[in-house]
Amino acid sequence: MPAGRARSWRPGPAVVSLVVGGAAVLVVFYPIVYLIQASLSVGDPQARPPEAYGLANFVDLARYAHIFWNTIVVSVVATALAIVLGFALGWILTRANVPGREALEQLMALPYYVTPLMGALAWSLIGSPSGGFLNQVWRALGGEGHLIDITTPYGIAWVMALFEGSVAFVMIGAVMKSMDPALEEASQVLGGSRLRTMLKITLPLVLPGVLGAAIFVFAEMLGSFSAALVLGLPNRFYVVTTAMYQLVSQYPPRFPQAAAMGVSLFAVMFAMVWIYRRIVSRGSYVTITGKAFRPRAMDVGGLKWPLFAVCLVYLFIAVVLPVLTLLYASFQRLATAFPRLDNFTLANYVTALSLDAVRSALANSLILGVATAGLGVFLMGFLSWLIYRSRLPGAGAIEYVLMFPQAVPRLVFAFGMLWAWLVFPIPIYGTLWLLLIAYLTVFLPLGIRTISGVMLQIDRTLEESAQMCGASWGYRLRTVTMPLLRPGLIAAALLLFIASVRELGASILLMGPKAKVITPAIVEAWFSTSTEQTAAMALLQTLAVALALIFLFAVAKRATRPAGE
Amino acid sequence: MSDSPPRPLTRRCFLEAGAAALAAAPILGGTPRAAAQAPAKVTKVHDFSTGADIAKAEQEGEVVYYGHDSEPAIAALLEAFRKDFPKIKTSYVRLQTGALYAKITAERSANRFLVDILQLSDISPAIDFQKKGGYESHLSPELAAYKPAYQSTPPGYFTWVGVTFAGIAYNRGKVKPEQAPKAWKDILNPTFKDGISAKLATSGMQHAQWYMLRKLYGNDFWQEFARQRPRGFDARAQLFDRLAKGDDRVCALAEYAGYTLFKEKGADIDFAAPPDGLPATPAILGVVNRAPHPEAAKLFADWALSNRGQAVYQNQPLLLYGSLRNDAPPMPTGKRLSDFKLLFPSDWADFQASHAMFVKEWNGIMGL
Amino acid sequence: MTSASGVPASRAASIEVNDLVVQYGNVRAVRGVSFSVGAGEHLTLLGPSGCGKTTTLRAIAGLEKPTGGLIRIDGAVVYDSRSRTQVPPERRGLSMVFQSYAIWPHMTVFDNVAYGLRVRREPESEIARKVGWALGLVQMAELASRSASKLSGGQQQRVALARAFVFSPSVLLFDEPLSNLDAKLRAEMRVELKELQRQLGITSVYVTHDLEEALAISDRIIVMRDGVIEQIGTPAEIYELPRNAFVADFVGSANLIRGRRRPELDGDGLVVLETPGGTLVHGVAHGRRAGTEAVFSARTVHLQLSRERPRGERNVWTARVRSRVFQGDFTQYHLDWDGRRVVLRCVTADPVAEGTDLFLSVDPRHCILLEDQ
Repeated sequence: MPAGRARSWRPGPAVVSLVVGGAAVLVVFYPIVYLIQASLSVGDPQARPPEAYGLANFVDLARYAHIFWNTIVVSVVATALAIVLGFALGWILTRANVPGREALEQLMALPYYVTPLMGALAWSLIGSPSGGFLNQVWRALGGEGHLIDITTPYGIAWVMALFEGSVAFVMIGAVMKSMDPALEEASQVLGGSRLRTMLKITLPLVLPGVLGAAIFVFAEMLGSFSAALVLGLPNRFYVVTTAMYQLVSQYPPRFPQAAAMGVSLFAVMFAMVWIYRRIVSRGSYVTITGKAFRPRAMDVGGLKWPLFAVCLVYLFIAVVLPVLTLLYASFQRLATAFPRLDNFTLANYVTALSLDAVRSALANSLILGVATAGLGVFLMGFLSWLIYRSRLPGAGAIEYVLMFPQAVPRLVFAFGMLWAWLVFPIPIYGTLWLLLIAYLTVFLPLGIRTISGVMLQIDRTLEESAQMCGASWGYRLRTVTMPLLRPGLIAAALLLFIASVRELGASILLMGPKAKVITPAIVEAWFSTSTEQTAAMALLQTLAVALALIFLFAVAKRATRPAGE
Repeated sequence: MSDSPPRPLTRRCFLEAGAAALAAAPILGGTPRAAAQAPAKVTKVHDFSTGADIAKAEQEGEVVYYGHDSEPAIAALLEAFRKDFPKIKTSYVRLQTGALYAKITAERSANRFLVDILQLSDISPAIDFQKKGGYESHLSPELAAYKPAYQSTPPGYFTWVGVTFAGIAYNRGKVKPEQAPKAWKDILNPTFKDGISAKLATSGMQHAQWYMLRKLYGNDFWQEFARQRPRGFDARAQLFDRLAKGDDRVCALAEYAGYTLFKEKGADIDFAAPPDGLPATPAILGVVNRAPHPEAAKLFADWALSNRGQAVYQNQPLLLYGSLRNDAPPMPTGKRLSDFKLLFPSDWADFQASHAMFVKEWNGIMGL
Repeated sequence: MTSASGVPASRAASIEVNDLVVQYGNVRAVRGVSFSVGAGEHLTLLGPSGCGKTTTLRAIAGLEKPTGGLIRIDGAVVYDSRSRTQVPPERRGLSMVFQSYAIWPHMTVFDNVAYGLRVRREPESEIARKVGWALGLVQMAELASRSASKLSGGQQQRVALARAFVFSPSVLLFDEPLSNLDAKLRAEMRVELKELQRQLGITSVYVTHDLEEALAISDRIIVMRDGVIEQIGTPAEIYELPRNAFVADFVGSANLIRGRRRPELDGDGLVVLETPGGTLVHGVAHGRRAGTEAVFSARTVHLQLSRERPRGERNVWTARVRSRVFQGDFTQYHLDWDGRRVVLRCVTADPVAEGTDLFLSVDPRHCILLEDQ
């Protein structure tokens, strides 16, 4: 008789997966259903439930053709810029023997922390045609008019690429790292120059990965909100997300049109993401395949320092310059490139710190960040296990559904959530709970992707051997899978923390009087107070978040020391 | 009636408009009481009278305020209230009037009643809200200091807690003195193309300007303005921020309050009060029906309408409203409201009814 | 039977596999395999990669879901395609040593080995005793508190082993446990494994592609190819009496001699084949039937070279040395015989130059008639 132990009934993995997976699916679908319902509502736009259904809203979208065109133009340019930047930096940091590569690679994550909103604010201060610092300097040097105009579509695309395109660098870098260096070495041995090697060997090999990254980035750019909000609105330049925001912010609000726009955008993004997954379906989300190659960098000789300089310039433009600009502006009454001495003031900081809204918004953001990160890793860790390791039926379908939020622009999703949760019997509307649910939902793809990347690197036999020792699924999840995942879980937690603090598109719609968070508060400040005030608030946010991160990181480091050391 | 020049505001036309509004639409939600209701008990606290039960208000301990002023402005206002009543916490939502109203109606239609005090910068949503039974009927003892023209019809639903008016402002560095705008027609000057700003369709002030200048100069006035490719913004702070920096050359809807504030900051701007008059719009405050903290709400309303509250509204640099109290002192600049030729719509019903058309046309002008 | 420290040996279980079929998509990895393992027996599944041996093992473990068949452990059904029974691995009471050892790097050696006992909620004192015993048996006792991430391959192997038997399972499964070790270590561990299995008396199912390993440690061997069983038998049987050409050549190297039956020349219990080249070869049939055409298998080590003509009349021929390959312990000669090549292995002695003509002979008892295919 095989050894059977008498044990109390514990729910099998199938039951728990059904419950958790089902809940996750519901939370994802619920707002989308409402979104689609709103988009099909003809008749009185204020009536709920809708009076009549029809496609009139979609037909009406032809009126906004220029907005769709704007969105595509900006997204395409931004994607191209991001890919070029990502490829160049990726190649420099993984293939060329630039000094300090490891350090530089870590630093490349910084623009993500600067956040698109801050980047847009800073570049607005730098590049506004009339009042921008750079243009002021240009005119002081004798130039005419303005050197750059950040409020043009290209300017907006530039800002998007700088601050939202860093994911391109991560993806392309990963592709390059997983390439067998012997392939390039063969080219060199046979006499190919470095340039030739890069163009004829490296480029074609990484092309599928780059293409995948391009599609993914394009989908992200379609849903971009901050840059267009700060830079586009003043120039009458609307993209779909900002147009939606305007439509629902006015009285009477035009929910059905906004919903129709949202659904169209969603459809396009969905198609893009589907294509992306087809391209990378072989490797799924594992970019480091078991054996990680440690490629020997190519000796680029004299180019070493210029390429190093390129990296530094990028970091300067994407991180140092924006922060310095905001710093500079925040201490002035009326920000200008050449201030008089009496223009300097601490008033902006005093006001910012005294504003209860700022303090409570900051506190809320940090609390939400910790909650999202903490709950998120467990939820998403479990879901990752469910999808990739449990071998339960339906896991593939759940994976598909949970990746849905990736294809929906945040603002659009929040719009659906707004309606969906407004009528929910439990009064979570207007509270931090709603924001928490929103964050957990929209960050599902991010969290699952990060954690599963680590999970798939864990040899399956490590779990199987636990099984063979008699451990039930819960026991081995707890004693083997989770501990092994810990570094990945911590990385995911920090990522979720940052993502939730910098979130704008969903938060701006879902905030309530007692549930304010900092990034939309900064946007509100941008709209209703001065640039200088906004700069001060943005910097305070960055400082608070940086301190929180350092603290959390230190705590996490403590927790990852392996046994026996 | 729509083509005659605007008459100075009289109680009569306002009453007509109010009654028409009430009679025209079915009444939804709560029932506005037709008869005036005197408050239960009047107490004097600090130096004003209130009809609210102060002890109960302090027990409720909180007041939720929805308003359209800038965040620091609202914060300052609420801070002043808290100084007088430390036991009552305050919280707020700030959105441009259009968005604010959209939010509160959406909430209420889903049976969420979260708001105590509503302040709007446009009378159209206020009248609409009254029709829907959104306002609570509260006859503040402080109403005695306000002309009936500045109150709802019937009184007690909402009151004009301040007035703001707008002329034209321009950046002195960017605009040559001979080109400086003086009258409303000057905003159509092609030299200002791509360099002129106004507010978005969410603004009550903008609605008022659109309506009044349309009456003065005909329907084509704004179509011509559209050719200037104006830029639209959410708040006057943005308008003046850009004007001060020279990102725009002329601001077509320059609120006097904004001008005052930025001039003090040292901006090189100037203000023109066109001889035909300056469109004005009230800031409208009312206690919300089914408020979560009804007594605190009433207390706040009474405070806001009293001399204490009005002092804040009028003198706070970020608010700078003109007070409509009979006994109001001059504004910080020394001027009084009567020093300006203010334009108000004569037919509020017509004004309110024009809102939909305004939004559509204005969105088009602004490129949306 | 108890071991020296008084820890009771496990009650070994028998295994029965009937008509096992495992299919992945369009590929049938295991195509109808049936065998049984006696209690305490050590059975090896041997075969080239892709033959389905690992899949069969994992199906017994419960880590693979078969498509059809029946598996019984100690009489109890753990898998039955007809009643849709599939007992999860953790409840089958088996244990397994993995090819990659699967040692958990975040635990110490002690915790690794103690895992199965902790799952079974044994008291800590018992756990300490048993872990000590198990580690002692694999000579890893001094390293009990070391972090598992700091072990060499051989050490991990031992820990994996200790972990597998510490909780006295009824069956031990081995998935090519030695294939990641270098040759010398492999040879040593082989012996230790055999010792251990004897001592503990656990039923073992062992998977390997290494012939020497299989021959050294098994009670019985199952040779598999392409998802089916080619032959079951003791190591000696497999080696001496291969059933078909595949087994003959896989298990040691063999020369396959094809020819026409000459039943009229049979005698003395021997059968005769005539090669296409006209040569007569005598061999034994061992009860196997043969048609008009048949094949003899003659192991390379059984062929003999001599300069003088050997005594005996049967199976003596001339052959010419074509090439010589020195392999250390033995030397391999490729000879021209009967218009074809044959391979011969012998202990290295004075080398024979290429081109030399010699006498080639083989004992007829070492020419095995292969089964009709």
